[in-house]
Amino acid sequence: MSLAYSGGGGGGGGGGGGGGGSGVRPWPSTASVSSSGKRIQKEMMELNADPPSDCSAGPKGDNLYHWISTIIGPPGSPYEGGIFFLDITFPGDYPFKPPKVVFKTRIYHCNVDSNGNVSVDILKDGWSPALTISKVLLAIKSMFTNPDPYNPLMSNIACLYETDRAKHDQIAAEFTMRFAR
Amino acid sequence: MAEAGEIASPAILQKRLKRSPRAVEAETNESILSPRFRSAAAMAGWDEEALLFATQVVEDTPVRESTRRRRSVNQLKSSTSSSSNRKLRSRRQPVDPIPVVVLCLDDEEDGSSHQEIEMEGKRSEGFAPNEEKKGNIGGGEETLAKINYKEGLPCMDRLREELSCAICLEICYEPSTTPCGHSFCKKCLKCAADKCGKKCPKCRQLISNARSCTVNTVLWNTIQLLFPNEVEPRKKAAIESSLREEVSTQGLELERLRRHRRSRTLHSSTSSFRSAMEVLRTVGGDRNTVRRLNPSQSEDAALALRLQREEFLETFSSGQQRNSLYTTRARLRSMALGVNRMRNRS
Repeated sequence: MSLAYSGGGGGGGGGGGGGGGSGVRPWPSTASVSSSGKRIQKEMMELNADPPSDCSAGPKGDNLYHWISTIIGPPGSPYEGGIFFLDITFPGDYPFKPPKVVFKTRIYHCNVDSNGNVSVDILKDGWSPALTISKVLLAIKSMFTNPDPYNPLMSNIACLYETDRAKHDQIAAEFTMRFAR
Repeated sequence: MAEAGEIASPAILQKRLKRSPRAVEAETNESILSPRFRSAAAMAGWDEEALLFATQVVEDTPVRESTRRRRSVNQLKSSTSSSSNRKLRSRRQPVDPIPVVVLCLDDEEDGSSHQEIEMEGKRSEGFAPNEEKKGNIGGGEETLAKINYKEGLPCMDRLREELSCAICLEICYEPSTTPCGHSFCKKCLKCAADKCGKKCPKCRQLISNARSCTVNTVLWNTIQLLFPNEVEPRKKAAIESSLREEVSTQGLELERLRRHRRSRTLHSSTSSFRSAMEVLRTVGGDRNTVRRLNPSQSEDAALALRLQREEFLETFSSGQQRNSLYTTRARLRSMALGVNRMRNRS
């Protein structure tokens, strides 16, 4: 499956627009349980069989729609060595609406706000039902190495990233040391 | 010519050439070339130089040394000899690899025949060549089948991956192919078009008519043949659900008819003869619509219609009776009035 998306680029932002606008319910209605549940189960099996490098994900408890995931900060980035926890919530009409991903570990990154909300194009307008959670995790992992300062959630961090990259990296590394270990 | 050249044993030639190329040149002309080759060369009109060169070309060592020598010879020789060299080389080249290839083929055939013998319970090797060939072919097929069987699982896994819907991640059920060439379950594609916009979920190309998507028959048949164990249960479930839906719609239709009938009977019981006629006419119209319904529904519909008609006939006839009663009463009354008037006059 070669998914070549034009990474956000254009009007991307759309900040306020509906990440979790799909009304996340803990247990979706009976009609959608079968299809979304089946799909999530399939994804879980695929993740177990062939996990992406430096990532892991799985249901938190016995609720299939609430997952917890970890991403290890990629080497070469200021987040190297950190372990970042993420909460993933699947909407009831899952493959047709994007999952909601929230950072549980504090991170100094221009695309992650202080509440842990992530702004990634594919989790908003760029979502496609052909995307899977492993692809989402890959996208977040690539966000570690390539922040997008043009569609920021934290404009001051984006500013610093643009103007003084070294300082930005230093602060990010400090945050990683403090919160992600 | 090259074949003739091979008669001069290359090994000896090589040794002598290695000793001292210059000195050997004359020697090779006289001693190494066989008289038959010489006569053949004379018939072809080769001069001494060409002959000498032929001897050097024949030696079969792709070592750098010999190529260097050949190059130096080329520089010394006239243009005619170099052209003959080219000719010779072009002739030699196809000759050279053939024995190797043949050997390879022989090896393979040997191997397959050995396998065949092992597999088919050690046939005796004293077969006629034709029969052996047949056996070989059969053995080859069997080995192929064996390989397929061995690689069967990963192959099926790859097929499963290839033929699964990117939306539900299961084997495509009634696959529908987008104009951009991606296939999804018909249902999934419809859902995606409804909820995520008319874009291909895989490549985001615009899909103009996602709602009226058709099943890719060839792909669907292929999937049914390849994965019957996965498709059949889903098929059954789909049929059951569709039946249930049909039953519920039929129930609704019947209910609607009944309610309609009740209201109509109420209406007709109070109405005059003309309105009854009207109702009958509308029933006729109704019958037409009923005929257009599903054949499975026609039985119920026919029953309902018959009941309706009987009822209407009843009401109609009763209406007529009442009407006649009414008219007779009116007639009686008018007669009575007339009688009264006559009495008054008299």
